[in-house]
Amino acid sequence: MMRVRRMLAAIGRFTRGQARFSLMAFGTGWGVLREAVIPSTWRRTVRIEFWKTLQQATKGALVSVLVTAALTGFGIVAQAVYWLGFAGIAQMTGSILSTVLVREIAPILVGMILLGRSGMLTLTELGTLTIGGELRVLKGMGVDPFLVFILPRSLAMMVSGFTLGIVFSIAALLVGYIVCRVEGVLSMPVWTFFDQVVSSVHAVDYLSIPGRLILSAFAIGITSCLTGVDATADDDLAALLPRGFARGMLAVMGINVLFSVMVG
Amino acid sequence: MSRNDATQNESIGRVHRTVALDPVLELQDARPRFEDGGLAAVRYNLRLNPGDLVLVECPDAQQASLFADLCVGLLPLVAGHVRCMGMDWQSLDERRRAALRGRIGRMVVNGGWVDLHGTDLNILWPHLHHTRVPTEVLARRAIELGIHFGLPGLPVSVPSKLSALDRCRADCVRAFLGEPALLLLENPLDDVPLSLLLAFLSSLTEARDRGAAIVWITRGTFPAGVGRIEATSRWRLHDDGLFLKRGA
Repeated sequence: MMRVRRMLAAIGRFTRGQARFSLMAFGTGWGVLREAVIPSTWRRTVRIEFWKTLQQATKGALVSVLVTAALTGFGIVAQAVYWLGFAGIAQMTGSILSTVLVREIAPILVGMILLGRSGMLTLTELGTLTIGGELRVLKGMGVDPFLVFILPRSLAMMVSGFTLGIVFSIAALLVGYIVCRVEGVLSMPVWTFFDQVVSSVHAVDYLSIPGRLILSAFAIGITSCLTGVDATADDDLAALLPRGFARGMLAVMGINVLFSVMVG
Repeated sequence: MSRNDATQNESIGRVHRTVALDPVLELQDARPRFEDGGLAAVRYNLRLNPGDLVLVECPDAQQASLFADLCVGLLPLVAGHVRCMGMDWQSLDERRRAALRGRIGRMVVNGGWVDLHGTDLNILWPHLHHTRVPTEVLARRAIELGIHFGLPGLPVSVPSKLSALDRCRADCVRAFLGEPALLLLENPLDDVPLSLLLAFLSSLTEARDRGAAIVWITRGTFPAGVGRIEATSRWRLHDDGLFLKRGA
């Protein structure tokens, strides 16, 4: 009987713990969006933190995104173009690339890079400040950590995620085109190739693609910041980092699956 | 002078008089809810008028820190009131609370330095957040204070790269910058050179003359130089609460 009780208690604790963070994340996300439209929110400290994070997230991840895009272009685009031509359905190249690469793969890969490079950094920084008591000191000075850290960082990551996603898609398609051109699989000019991809994008994808990129990056920002700020005195970085990574990945995957189900 | 002007001046004078009568900090039977972290959940009473200096002896750094947190409305109360400049912390919303805390200069035990920015930005941070004073003006004032406390200017390296003494000087700059109405100083000067002590005491006197109230919390005995300034009262903060010292 005791064992059953203990097991039920453990399940209850786990469920409550999971729901607690999700609800906190939704609440914080809503709070960020609501505060962001109030002009007085954008004080000098908030602006400084926003630009600093935007620079770190975008410039810092640019090389990684370009390398990943080149590898993806080489592996996926070139192979897709080659095999579709081989199967005699080369006219579907644009449609398949826009669906698979731009809509499905780009948000997840960019999300992973953003999570690894900026999300983990944010988590480490905020976790260290929380555990060390510096955030409480800032609060005592009237500087709200939500305003000066969570809000600007998650919004900067959102902008950065969209930018990197577009850079990734263009670079991957470009490298794929170059590979196919060099191997003699394609003979059309680059503009025609891009036109084929762009014209095969459905109207709904003009909302779905930016939506996935923006929401994934925003979720990474929120989960990373919250995991850091939510740290307790018993936590250390060894415990925080895997927790933050798992939460970030779940958020990215969840948002993309949700979009796939809803938009198709 | 027109009648309107006279009425206006009279009303402004009345407002000034009312403000002057308000204590800068008032703990009225304030009982914190926090029980297991070091600060006793008993009733605290303390009143600081403009220009007052209160010396509090507290051997426990954590207790001192929590007491300072109580003064800035960070600890929830189960009874009583804590008022700052006439405003009850509990009746204010979060934005107003933050704005009011911006009028308080603090020196905390662990420094509270954020290593994500340089020391210069750490010093200016609360004022950049709460005020619209141009950054250049703030920086100029911070440099003046830095020189007063013995720094060559405003340090730009991260706080952890500074020596303990320079961090203590930077701490003084951050606390006195922006002419705060209330100063909460937790163990501000532990084993510092005489020049820094004298600079600190002169800033303290200047702040009191301006009308600021000061709570100076120390671990044990106060530096000898403190004898030169006249404290309003001396208190003792222990496990059983806050008590006025005999003869104070």
